Amino acid sequence: MDDMKDVWQKQAAENATVSLEEVRRKAGRFRATIFWRNVREYSVLGLLTAWFGLYAWRSPFPVMRVGNGLTVAGLLYAGYQLHKRASAAAAPADLARKTCLHFHRAQLERQRDALRGVWRWYLGPMIPGLAVIAVAAGIAGFERSWSAGLAVVLFAVAGAMLYVGLGRLNQGAARRLQGQIEALDAIEKEPK
Amino acid sequence: MEETESIAARGAGQEELYREAVAAYGAPLGRLARAYEMDADARRDLLQEIHLALWRSFASFDARCSLRTWTYRVAHNAAASHVLRQRRRRALVLVSLEELEAMPDPGEGPRAADERHTLDRLLALIQQLRPLDRQVILSYLEGMDAASTAEITGISAGNVATKIHRIKQILARRFHEGEPHG
Repeated sequence: MDDMKDVWQKQAAENATVSLEEVRRKAGRFRATIFWRNVREYSVLGLLTAWFGLYAWRSPFPVMRVGNGLTVAGLLYAGYQLHKRASAAAAPADLARKTCLHFHRAQLERQRDALRGVWRWYLGPMIPGLAVIAVAAGIAGFERSWSAGLAVVLFAVAGAMLYVGLGRLNQGAARRLQGQIEALDAIEKEPK
Repeated sequence: MEETESIAARGAGQEELYREAVAAYGAPLGRLARAYEMDADARRDLLQEIHLALWRSFASFDARCSLRTWTYRVAHNAAASHVLRQRRRRALVLVSLEELEAMPDPGEGPRAADERHTLDRLLALIQQLRPLDRQVILSYLEGMDAASTAEITGISAGNVATKIHRIKQILARRFHEGEPHG
């Protein structure tokens, strides 16, 4: 099998050098990417918070004000969780201090926990506010006409189904990751 | 461990360590990137990512393992993260060595004897593998022994030996079938 090693090791190097200058440029680009990703995520969060916040403040209906206020609270909580999770990324030296097995397992665990807890930290916190808004809109709709009320109910049901579907998709992905984690555990438990 | 002691004794800085690692392992890092990414542009990006990860990691090098183990762990871990991201984006299905062993040979017609073709097929085979198995086969092809591979990957030396035995069988079946023995 040494011929395969030869083929591998003697392959023509294709521009495999990276200068220190290039690494520094990449570090700059990396910081810029993180900065703009944060700007994007927090801007969306900021806009949504401003939108629901405005309705919480200006709506003439007290129930709507409560619903919008609760949604703002849910958005702020989800934003805090996003920030916490992004800051928990691996430190540069972790890549060397952890063996490939442990590093890979830690990555899979992080993804699994984010997916498994999606109801708790992302979808769930928005539910109270959105539910109150839906109830208030439904009542207002039925007061106007049956068809308007029914449209609100159908819209709310579609929203709820989308929510449940998203949750199930995430749970399925979390289960698949758990299977991969268990396979890694089995490798680790094998006799030395 | 002599190499590690000498690095510790010199109190080498981040830049010096990085230069030393690249001088010693630059070529294997290029081959490693090739085994993890088939698209040329994305591969260049991955290689830069590996070098950046290496450079950043040396800010806290603690000489608890050799420069080689440190370098390969960083490179493999950075590349495995890249594979996980790509797998989500491109919906790639990766298999284990055991699954690969059970899969039929794709049967690509008459086997060309040239090394270029062999290398392409070898790369295609490696790129199907899950990260840990990919790390073992790459260490094997780079000529590392089971103990060094175990230190980098965290898999026991016995398990690495079993995997290497399996790798040899797969390579023999896929690359030497039909060729005269001797």
